[in-house]
Amino acid sequence: MSAETRPETTQEELPPQVHMPLLDYVIANSLDGDYAQAAERAEAADGGEAPKIKPGIAALVVMGLFGVLVTTAAIQTARNAGDESAGKESLVNQIQARSAQVEARRERAANLREENESLQSLFLETTSQGRALSARLDRLGAVTGALPVTGPGVKVVVDDAPDGTSEKQRVFDKDLQKLVNALWASGAEAISINEQRLSNLSAIRLAGSAITVNYVSLSGPYTVLAVGDPDTMPARFVETKHGRDWLDLQAFYGLQFEMTAEDSMTLPAAPSRRLNLIHATQGDTQ
Amino acid sequence: MIAGLGLLVGIIVGLMLQPEVPLWLEPYLPIAVVAALDAVFGALRAFLDGIFDDKVFVVSFISNVLIAALIVYLGDKLGVGGQLSTGVIVVLGIRIFSNVAAIRRHIFHA
Repeated sequence: MSAETRPETTQEELPPQVHMPLLDYVIANSLDGDYAQAAERAEAADGGEAPKIKPGIAALVVMGLFGVLVTTAAIQTARNAGDESAGKESLVNQIQARSAQVEARRERAANLREENESLQSLFLETTSQGRALSARLDRLGAVTGALPVTGPGVKVVVDDAPDGTSEKQRVFDKDLQKLVNALWASGAEAISINEQRLSNLSAIRLAGSAITVNYVSLSGPYTVLAVGDPDTMPARFVETKHGRDWLDLQAFYGLQFEMTAEDSMTLPAAPSRRLNLIHATQGDTQ
Repeated sequence: MIAGLGLLVGIIVGLMLQPEVPLWLEPYLPIAVVAALDAVFGALRAFLDGIFDDKVFVVSFISNVLIAALIVYLGDKLGVGGQLSTGVIVVLGIRIFSNVAAIRRHIFHA
């Protein structure tokens, strides 16, 4: 054999799918080769007679199967298409409903934001008013004795003469009144006597043999605390008439009198029953 | 004649029963139908060629359907289900076309 012919023989021996293009092969073998082979076998077996080509029961059954398959696929596809379009429609409805909802929410958010802003400004206004009001209340409370106060001042301790025999050597209500008046006059801003804070309704008077302040009986020694300037108050005290009276009382009758400056002292609030106004109401402030 | 009768009976049965296809089988149904269609047209051409055989038809029908479904199943598992389906449909479609062309030649002698 020559070298030129050898490849040809090899090509002929190869199966067709090796040297044929795929699409050509598919087209050329579109009919299953089995039919031809079965026909050849049948021909060989029957000894040259024509093969039986009548379709039998098996073909009937398979064709029925094919019919069921096609019908089922068609029904299924139609059903799915129905589902799909229904799903699409419900999705569209949902989208519309949700977007309407979103729109409503957005509007509500805008309204709320507006409301928030107005409330905030109102709140600011109210708090600034409230702060001013509470500052004013604090001031008034300190002035009227409704609130405890703290600050520097002087502490005055007075008592009867230690070995007093006559009535004049005792501390009377009017002595304490003089003392308090002298302290007010020398610049006191808040005064308490034995922890009884003086309010503008407090009275110092004698009840029986005891001095009462805010209707509470006191006994000596009487500690009078006065918040004010501790540097100037003692000097101003002795300049007042009542202050001088007290120095006389100390000198002539031996009453105990001791004034000391304090850096810090705390005066309690007056009892609340001493702060209630029953008849007085606020008048016009011009 | 008997094949047409079978087809008619099958369609009627399918319409009457309207079987519910299980969900896992649903993706393989269309490709199985195309494969079955190929087997049926091949059988029709063989019949017209005079070489039809019951056994070959049954075997080719069932194996076509099963293999087509299997290929798509395998493709689904590998993540190329769509592409494999396309390939199977192209090949089966070419076969169907050339078989139908042969059938047409038989019927119209053209």
